[in-house]
Amino acid sequence: MQSLSEKVRVWDLATRLYHWLQFLLVMGALLIGFFGPEWFLDAHVYAGYGVLALIVFRLVWGFAGSTYSRFSSFIFSPRDILCHVRGVLKGRPSHHLGHNPLGALMVFALIGVLLLMLGSGLVVLGGVENQGPLAGFIGFDLGVRARFVHKVFAYLLVGMIVLHVMGVVLESRLSGFSLVRSMFDGNKPRPDIVHAAGDGFEPAGNADDMAGNAHPLPDVPARTGRAILAVIVSGAVIVGAGVLGSAVPASGFIDLPSNDNYSSECAECHMLYHPSLLPRDSWLKLMANLEDHFGEDASLDDSVTQDIANYLSTYSSEAWDTEAANELRTVDPQKPYEITATPFWKRTHARIDPTIFETRPVLSKGNCAACHWDAESGRFADQKIEIAHGQK
Amino acid sequence: MIKKALVLSALLAFSAVPAQADPRQDILDQLAVEASAADANFSGFSAARGEKLFRTKFGTGKPATPSCTSCHTESPRNVGETRAGKAIDPVAVSVNPSRFTDPAKVAKWFRRNCKSVIGRECTALEKGDYITFMMTQ
Repeated sequence: MQSLSEKVRVWDLATRLYHWLQFLLVMGALLIGFFGPEWFLDAHVYAGYGVLALIVFRLVWGFAGSTYSRFSSFIFSPRDILCHVRGVLKGRPSHHLGHNPLGALMVFALIGVLLLMLGSGLVVLGGVENQGPLAGFIGFDLGVRARFVHKVFAYLLVGMIVLHVMGVVLESRLSGFSLVRSMFDGNKPRPDIVHAAGDGFEPAGNADDMAGNAHPLPDVPARTGRAILAVIVSGAVIVGAGVLGSAVPASGFIDLPSNDNYSSECAECHMLYHPSLLPRDSWLKLMANLEDHFGEDASLDDSVTQDIANYLSTYSSEAWDTEAANELRTVDPQKPYEITATPFWKRTHARIDPTIFETRPVLSKGNCAACHWDAESGRFADQKIEIAHGQK
Repeated sequence: MIKKALVLSALLAFSAVPAQADPRQDILDQLAVEASAADANFSGFSAARGEKLFRTKFGTGKPATPSCTSCHTESPRNVGETRAGKAIDPVAVSVNPSRFTDPAKVAKWFRRNCKSVIGRECTALEKGDYITFMMTQ
């Protein structure tokens, strides 16, 4: 009984599970986002959906969880926060059983930044990749702007995680018990019982100290049933909206009829390039110079040439709002119809070993489909990349 | 002149019967007419000359394609490959009986590939020799 009274169950099981699952998913999403290859996009996105589910739970649990999980237990006045900061600067911060004022700020800031990352991430996914629930609503330009926001918040998030860990280390040192351990077993020693003279903390109630909860707070039971109901209802609303949104066709794409001359003549020698991959002007220049077509004579009858030129210029990049169409609209003026000479192509393929382009199964830089499974659809989804995937 | 007339009449007589059944022979006959018109001494196509044409490294056309074998490989019976990696059906008639039966296709590919490989259009004699060689393969 003695030992029990010295410990307080601060973090309930659900909060601890939430914390560690979020740790895993956020670390996974960050690592993939910063270092992963493009084709890990699905894992990154699913990690994001996982974080969304966790945050929905956490918001509910902030109102329905047990004592220290409730937001009301760690909302501090600006005065409390200032006092705590002063204490930290003096090396003698006030002691709190639950979140201390700075820790509480971090909880809200993390939830806020994660929500902004989820929102901006969905806008990138929809606008740039033409995927996900917002694909039907977001254009490429907005997607690119959201990508910038997403990146900035990613760096901010890394900085916040570092601060969070530093805070945990600091308080663990001052208090002499591990906050990390508390997040595993849920318990903290009672400061009003175990405070020995000379530890790092100001005893609760000292002059500089506005300590809110060095003494255990009155026990508030978790309302698990209501919480489950709230999570299910809000989850259903979010998933429903996602499913409805995903049913809307991606806004970057238009219907592309096939053209017999284009398919039969051009695909005899090379993969069928999607008309969205070059601007109108480039297609017309290409079709006007078939006698010297990438080092070969590819001339056609005038009527066939005209038909293909009409088709390609009608469905050229100007007609699409995909990533490829937008990015490849900027061509090299010296090589106006060489897709692999565009700044975007060069930038995105710069880190690939050049010998891969010359050897089987790729053979030439123009053989997009050797690595992009969906090249002929013009989609070029990140997930559909497999470097030299035809290789045995 | 007599010789040319003889060749022509022989060709015409030969082609008269199987004309409808053998489009490849029609193409060859037409090439023979053109070859005779270009050279009074024309005395028929030669598989040996066709093979030489097939294997010669010209270096006068586009740098990427010095020879027919650049794409069609050393053996006409093999599946070839375009520079962009697409398979090319074998050229040898024994392996690919539909070769040289569509006049438009034959015209298109001789025009393109002779320019790419040799740097000029092929003569009727060269085309006829090439087809004759491929018929022996």
